[in-house]
Amino acid sequence: MGTDHGLQIGIADRNGSPVNRGLSPEFEFVKEQAGIREFRVRSNGLRVLLLRNTVAPVATFCVVYHVGSRNEAVGHTGATHLLEHLMFKGTPDFDRENGTAVAAVLEALGARFNATTWFDRTNYYETIPSDRIETAIRIEASRMRGAYLRDSDRVPEMTVVRNEYERGENSPFQVLYKETFATAFREHPYHHPTIGWRADIEGVTTARLKEFYDVFYHPNNATAMLIGDFEEADALAMIERDFGRIPPSQRPIPEVYTFEPPQQGERRFTVRRTAQVAWTALSWRTVAARHPDTPALAVLGNVLGGGLTARLHLALVETSLALSVTVVPWQLRDPALFSVFAPVRPGVEPGIVEKTIRAEAARVAAEGVTEAEARKARTQIEAEVIFERDSTDQVAASLSEAIAVADWEWYADYPDLVRRVTTDDLRRVAATYFVDDGLTCGLYLPKEPPAA
Amino acid sequence: MTASPAGAAARRGKVPFEQAVRRRTLASGARLFVLENHFNPTVAVSGSLNAGPLYAPPDRRLVAGVTAGELAKGTTRRTKLEIAEELESRGASFSIAAGSSDPVGVDVAAAALSRDVEVLLDVLAEVLREPVFPRDELEKEQMRLVGVLREQQDQTSVRAFEAASRRLYPPGHPFHRRRAEERIAVIESLDREELRRFYEERYGASTLILVVVGDVDSDRILDGLERRLGSWKSGPPADVPKPAPVAPAPGSETVAMPDKASADVVLAQPGDLDRLDPEYLACVLANSALGQSSLTSRLGVRVRDTEGLTYGIHSGFAATHLAGPFAVSLTVKPESRDAAVGATLEEIRRFVREGMTVKELADEQSSHIGRYKVDLGSNGGIAHAIDAAVYYGFGISYLDEFPALVAGVTKEEADAAFARRVDPEKFTIVSAGTFQQ
Repeated sequence: MGTDHGLQIGIADRNGSPVNRGLSPEFEFVKEQAGIREFRVRSNGLRVLLLRNTVAPVATFCVVYHVGSRNEAVGHTGATHLLEHLMFKGTPDFDRENGTAVAAVLEALGARFNATTWFDRTNYYETIPSDRIETAIRIEASRMRGAYLRDSDRVPEMTVVRNEYERGENSPFQVLYKETFATAFREHPYHHPTIGWRADIEGVTTARLKEFYDVFYHPNNATAMLIGDFEEADALAMIERDFGRIPPSQRPIPEVYTFEPPQQGERRFTVRRTAQVAWTALSWRTVAARHPDTPALAVLGNVLGGGLTARLHLALVETSLALSVTVVPWQLRDPALFSVFAPVRPGVEPGIVEKTIRAEAARVAAEGVTEAEARKARTQIEAEVIFERDSTDQVAASLSEAIAVADWEWYADYPDLVRRVTTDDLRRVAATYFVDDGLTCGLYLPKEPPAA
Repeated sequence: MTASPAGAAARRGKVPFEQAVRRRTLASGARLFVLENHFNPTVAVSGSLNAGPLYAPPDRRLVAGVTAGELAKGTTRRTKLEIAEELESRGASFSIAAGSSDPVGVDVAAAALSRDVEVLLDVLAEVLREPVFPRDELEKEQMRLVGVLREQQDQTSVRAFEAASRRLYPPGHPFHRRRAEERIAVIESLDREELRRFYEERYGASTLILVVVGDVDSDRILDGLERRLGSWKSGPPADVPKPAPVAPAPGSETVAMPDKASADVVLAQPGDLDRLDPEYLACVLANSALGQSSLTSRLGVRVRDTEGLTYGIHSGFAATHLAGPFAVSLTVKPESRDAAVGATLEEIRRFVREGMTVKELADEQSSHIGRYKVDLGSNGGIAHAIDAAVYYGFGISYLDEFPALVAGVTKEEADAAFARRVDPEKFTIVSAGTFQQ
C-alpha cells in the first residue's frame, strides 16, 4: 500500500510496536503488512490477524471458515448455509436452556452480529464495545467444535431457511443471478446457489450436516481476526485461552478439484413470471480473484457501472431504456463472471437493452477507454477502500472476502494493484473477456397474470 | 495527519460531545456542527431541512420527494452530469432525498476523502441554493419513476404496507399511500413550475441542519459553510402541522399476487408515539423485547426460532416528529400465514398482559447502550447521531446523556407506556402473496 493512503494503526501505536516482545510460545508471529499482524497458533494451525484501530471503543471479532457452497454437491446443496444457521442453536457453554443463547448474549451486549455464507467461505462476526471482546472470542471458540447440531433444532430451522429461499425467489435480481450461475457453470459447484436447491434444503439430514461440520470446522481451516480497539497482548492471551486447546483436524481438509472447462458458445435462458417489469442479465466468463487481470476487471466494472457518468449508465438510464444498471465483476476463488443486470423500463423492448450492453462492451474492447475514465474508476475504488476503514466491521467484511478468495495480503496489496491499472490493461481485458463464446444472456420476462 | 484530541476523545467517551462538537448558528437560522476526527482521511456530512411530503398538497405528496431528487439535476452553473463528474471523479458520494418513513424532513448525506471537502461543500451549497429543475431531466425522471413504481408493485412487502396504510389512514393523510395508478397519474402530470414553486416555498436556511464529521479543521469548515450559506434566505419557520389522530381500523385484507413463493404480512395500528414523547425510550425498550430482533425478541424466538414459520419478523413504532404506525411485519410461506399470524398475536397479547421480565428490560438496556457505542464507531454514524439529536430539538448533550436516559427507564414505565399504545385486538392485518382460495 502506498504511503499516502497507508493504514494508520492508531494514535497509541505511532512510535511503532515491537514485533513479538513477550509473545507466548503458543504463537508464531508470521508477518506484518499495512498494519495487519499475522500470527499462527502452533498447536492447531489457527491463523490470527490483528489490526488495531483505537479511534472508537469498539472492535470486530470475526472467524472465517474456508468452506462455502463451493464445497457442496447435489443432495446437500445449501448445507453450508443451513449449518451456519444451526451454529446459533447452542453449545454446552451458550445454551438457550440456561438463558445464554449465542444471540441473546450478544444482543444484550449491544453487539452488531451475524454470520454469512457465500461461495467460498462462511464467516461469523460480532462488533462489540471493546470491553466485551472476551465474550465474542469465547462464543466463537465454543462453537468451533462444540455446536449441538440437534435434529430437533434442524427441523424448525429448515423451514426458516426455506422461507429465506422463498424470499429470494420473489426477487427478480436473485432469480436472475441464480439462473445465470446455473447456466454459466455446469461442472463447477458455483453452478448451485449458496442458499441451495429447494429439495436439498428440505431433504438434507442432520447427520449429513454434522458430517460437514466435522470435516470443515477446525482451527486449521479457519482464520480469526480482531479489528479495532484492543491491546495485542490481551487479545492474544484471550485467543490462546479459548482457541488454543482445540485440536487440529485428524484428516486433511478436502480440496475441490472440479473446474469449469472453457465455454464454447453463447448460452441463453428465459424466466417468465407474473410481473410488471422485465430484467436483463449479461455475464461473461472471467478469472479467479488471484489472477493478475482481476484489478483491471474491477476498474472496468467502475468504468461501466460506477455512477451516473459511467458508460452503461449513460447508455441505458440516461436514454430511458433501463431503470438502473448494476455491474458486478465477481471476485471468487475460482474463475467467475463479469455481470451486468438491468431492469428494463416498461414499454421498452428488452432486446434493445441487451443489444446496447453488448455494443458498449464491444466498444471498450475495440477502442478502449479514456485516461480520465480510467483515473476516475481507479479513484473510486481507492476511495472505497479508505471509507471502509471508518468502521471496523467493514474492514472485517473485506478482509473476510480477501481471505476466502485469495489471502489477506491480497487485501493489503489491492489498492496498489488498482492504482497500476492502465488504459491498455482495460482494453486488453475487455477484448479478452467480452467475447460471445463466454457469454450467458438471461431474460426475466413478465407474463400476464392468470385469469381470476 | 495529526493526533485528534477532540473527536477521538469524544468517541472514546473521555470528553463530552457537548464540549467536543464545534457549532455556529447563522443569522438565517442555519445550524452548523463540526466534530474533528483525524484518524482516517475521510469526511462525512449529514443534514436535514423541513421540506418533506408533509408540506406538499395532500393529493400530491410525492412532489416533495421529486423536488428533493431533482435538486442535483442541474444548477445555474452546471449540468447534472458536470456535477456528477465532479463528485464521481473523486470517489465522493452525495444525496438529498425525502425519507420514506419521515414525512417532515429531507435528508442530506454525503461523504468524501477529506482532501475533497471543499468541492463537496461547493456542490452542497450550489444544489441547495441554485437548482434550475431542467425540463428534460424532469421528463426522464418521470419516465424512470413510473417504471420504478411498477417494479415496486411487484414486491409483496410494498403491496402489504401500502394496503395497510390505506386501511389505517384517510386519503390525504401523510401516512396514506395512494394506489399505484393514482401516483403514476400524479407523476405524469408534474411540471418544473410545480417543483420550482415547492422549492421556493419550502427551501431555506431556517430549518437547515448540517453536521460535518471527520479529518477537517473545524474553523475552516464553519467559516466555509457560513461563506456559502450565510446569504441564503431563511425560508419558512420550523412549523410541523400535526394531522388529526386516527382511530384503529381492525380488520384484514389479502392482496392477491400470483407467482410469489413468499408472502408478506403486516399487522399495523396507529402507534400514537412520536420521537419527542417523554415515553419514547420506554416504548422503544419494550418494543425491543417484543420484536426488534428476529433472533432474540419474543416474536423472533416464538415465530422463527421455535416454530420455524418465518425468516424475518420485526415490530416497531414509526416515531418521528409525527406519530406513525406501530407495525409488525413478517414473511411466510403462504400456507403458513394463519399459523404465523396466530402465534404473533398470541405473543403480543401475552406481552401486553404480563409486561416484560426484569431480565428482558436489563438486557435491552445494556443492548441499547452497547449498540449506541457501536453505532458511534464511524464518522457517518456520529454525523447522523448529531443531526438527529438537533433535528428533534434535544441538542448535542443528548449524545452524552443517552446511556443514562436508557438506564433510567423502569419496568413499570415501559410496560405501561407500551400497553397504552398497542392494543392486540385492534390490528389491521394485510397479507400480500399467492394464497389458495
